[in-house]
Amino acid sequence: MSADDPTGPPGIAAEDFGWTYRGRPRPALQGISFCLEPGRVLLVLGPSGSGKSTLARALAGLVPHVLGGTWRGSLRVGDAEIASTPARVLGERVGLVFQDPESQLVMARAGDEVAFGLENRGWPLPAMAARVPVALAQVGLAGFEPRSTATLSGGEQQRLAIADVLAPAPGLLVFDEPTANLDPPGMQATIEQLARLAGRRRHTIVLVEHRLEAALPLADDVLLIDEAGRQLAFSPAASVGPEAVELLARTGAWIPRAWTGAGTGAAEDQRSGRPPFAAGNARPEPPRTQAVLVAEALRVDYPSDGSGRRRALDGVSLHVAAGERVGLVGPNGAGKSTLLLALAGLLRPSVGRVAVLDRPSGGAFVDPARLAARRLAGRVGLVFQDPELGFVGRTALLEVLASAGAALRPPAEDRAPGERVLDRFGLAALADVDPFRLSQGEQRRLSLAALALVPPAALLLDEPTFGLDRRGTETVLGLLDELRAGGQAQLLATHDPRLLPACDRVVALDGGRVVFDGAPRAFLARPPYPVAAAWRAEVSLGSSDPPAAIPEPEVEPAG
Amino acid sequence: MSLLPAPLEPTRPAFLTRVTPAARLVVGFAWLIVDVLTLDPLVPARLLVAGIVTLVLWSGLPLRRVPARLAPLGVAIVGLAGFSILLSPANGDPGLAAVAALGPVRITAPALAAGLAIGLRIVVIGLTSLLVIAPSDPTRLADSLVQQWRVPDRFAYSTLAALRVAPFMAGDWATIGAARRLRGLTGGGPLRRLREAGDRLLVMLVAAIRRAERMALAMDARGFDSGIPRSHYRPVRTGWRDWVSLAVGLGVAVAALALPR
Repeated sequence: MSADDPTGPPGIAAEDFGWTYRGRPRPALQGISFCLEPGRVLLVLGPSGSGKSTLARALAGLVPHVLGGTWRGSLRVGDAEIASTPARVLGERVGLVFQDPESQLVMARAGDEVAFGLENRGWPLPAMAARVPVALAQVGLAGFEPRSTATLSGGEQQRLAIADVLAPAPGLLVFDEPTANLDPPGMQATIEQLARLAGRRRHTIVLVEHRLEAALPLADDVLLIDEAGRQLAFSPAASVGPEAVELLARTGAWIPRAWTGAGTGAAEDQRSGRPPFAAGNARPEPPRTQAVLVAEALRVDYPSDGSGRRRALDGVSLHVAAGERVGLVGPNGAGKSTLLLALAGLLRPSVGRVAVLDRPSGGAFVDPARLAARRLAGRVGLVFQDPELGFVGRTALLEVLASAGAALRPPAEDRAPGERVLDRFGLAALADVDPFRLSQGEQRRLSLAALALVPPAALLLDEPTFGLDRRGTETVLGLLDELRAGGQAQLLATHDPRLLPACDRVVALDGGRVVFDGAPRAFLARPPYPVAAAWRAEVSLGSSDPPAAIPEPEVEPAG
Repeated sequence: MSLLPAPLEPTRPAFLTRVTPAARLVVGFAWLIVDVLTLDPLVPARLLVAGIVTLVLWSGLPLRRVPARLAPLGVAIVGLAGFSILLSPANGDPGLAAVAALGPVRITAPALAAGLAIGLRIVVIGLTSLLVIAPSDPTRLADSLVQQWRVPDRFAYSTLAALRVAPFMAGDWATIGAARRLRGLTGGGPLRRLREAGDRLLVMLVAAIRRAERMALAMDARGFDSGIPRSHYRPVRTGWRDWVSLAVGLGVAVAALALPR
């Protein structure tokens, strides 16, 4: 129970390890065999659904002690065989940090939050009282004990979650996509925290992460897994062979840029200097100039706690033209979500005006907030970050037909157009499946397919590629390209810099104001507010880009 | 996009904020029993006075925000008290003079008194609940129940975690409604609206279950409910303030019942 584990960090040994969740036909992981030396940092790479999270859960003992299924082979942390070691013993040795800060923080105050894991392990009060401030200080949150966990920023919440697992001083730390839900500053803070932990060499670290440019430099070793959960390769991070990279690229996983220069086939799709979705970005004609979606001098105030109001949007003007895709960026709290809601007519601005073209072909401008729901469909569409919250149909087909106002059991002749849409989105085989049973990538595609039968003149998207691997991202962007080619105006809010090269224009919000409106390249070359280096590193501007060609962005001082 | 009202919290340390929640629960429960199980309107009136004195002097709560907090009770008061006034059998007694009459509807003095008594009871229920719950946060309530009443940790802290994610559910509800409006699914006749609300609730429940599963997994990963007896980071001890508030609070309940008219 001492804060400093005398045995030091453990190694990990897997021998033909596999796991099949109860009720699933196929294994989540199979044939995993590797040996990680104590104190090293392992980065796990693979496409969506490749079992990366399952490995993280197994190392923490959640598989098999909490989640049900069938275990194969052997997985050891130090000298403890996971399957035969009680969860309470594993809990002393392994700490697991999850992706979503919202659903892993249990207590209302930061100090109580760190103590929660210690209470669970039965630490006496004096030991806890001594340990909590130390763990908070280790993640740069010294003195945060009385702070409400709900009011912390995303980056602070995630660092708090790291303090939670550091407190009982486990030898093995496992991170399951710790930056996925964070904005650029939060991502930077979390990555820096990971770098400090990795540099101290006091822990063995296993890292599952999609933001590879920031994560790869931290890794000593890499484990590559394919879409069926099979091991492709395990090697030192510095000496990954081109064959392994090629195999990984074929699975549709994100590939670190450092590995793509080898000139191998599929990996080359993601060559530096070009967005991975270059095909989608190649446009035969420039966007038409007819504005479809217009916001003029929007001001939105939210009532805040206590007295006074919080201004979420302050004089925001914006237009999106027919056939144009505009990327909307900015740190958390900058007003992106509020702007999307206001543009969709779901939130009435206190000052200013929102207008959307009545028909994609032209016509008069209307205020979406004043339109009846029935007339709104076909004009403004909104794809939410969590597709599940937007599903309205009991089957994928009904989901697609719902926008056309179809009955619950449409006759065969009415099904045909819906089936054609599903086919276009690669969902033909899933027409009669409940949308809630689809995979994450399938749900994404369905959420777009649902807006394809009656394409809205303006489409608003909130993190439309969240959690998707490279292939999933390419597929979604390809589908968006099709809709854009039909003259749709698209506004895409995202924290993922890799999407910006696929946009025609970037609008940046900070503190409720527009601080940038211009070309994606200009934004990435000279962001209008301090953005995290780790974030910018995720997308390359390319070496052939002459700096002089970058136009000076119009920058208002933030705040 | 917070849809829940901000919780009413003490703005200054006060006597009641230092009384353990378990002691406040005992007194509150006694008051509620006395309040509900008597017919004499004088009893809730006395409790109301005692409650207001406690609120003003010892609760530490911002008084200006209390009426807004209790406002939802207005619906219950108008509904229950109003019905009991209108439907009281005393109204049909021709021997009693009508206080007010509108066409065939007569309202007699006993009906009015009974209705006002019901309204008074509801106000006391609201005020008592506020005095029990508001002076300390849910964390301290859970600590108190676990340490003083031996409520199982698993139940108390799981409920606490559920409370923490409740605001997210409100956010989900709004998002689901927004999505449905944009798909042209809101509006229409009452039957359609009802079915629509049911579908919306179903989606929210699915989302809530997914969130709960993630939270439960995160708690398990941190050794919750692993069989080791939990220790306590925030010890709760029964102190002199608890005994004083128990004595005074229960005394008030007895006095409200037993004092002569």
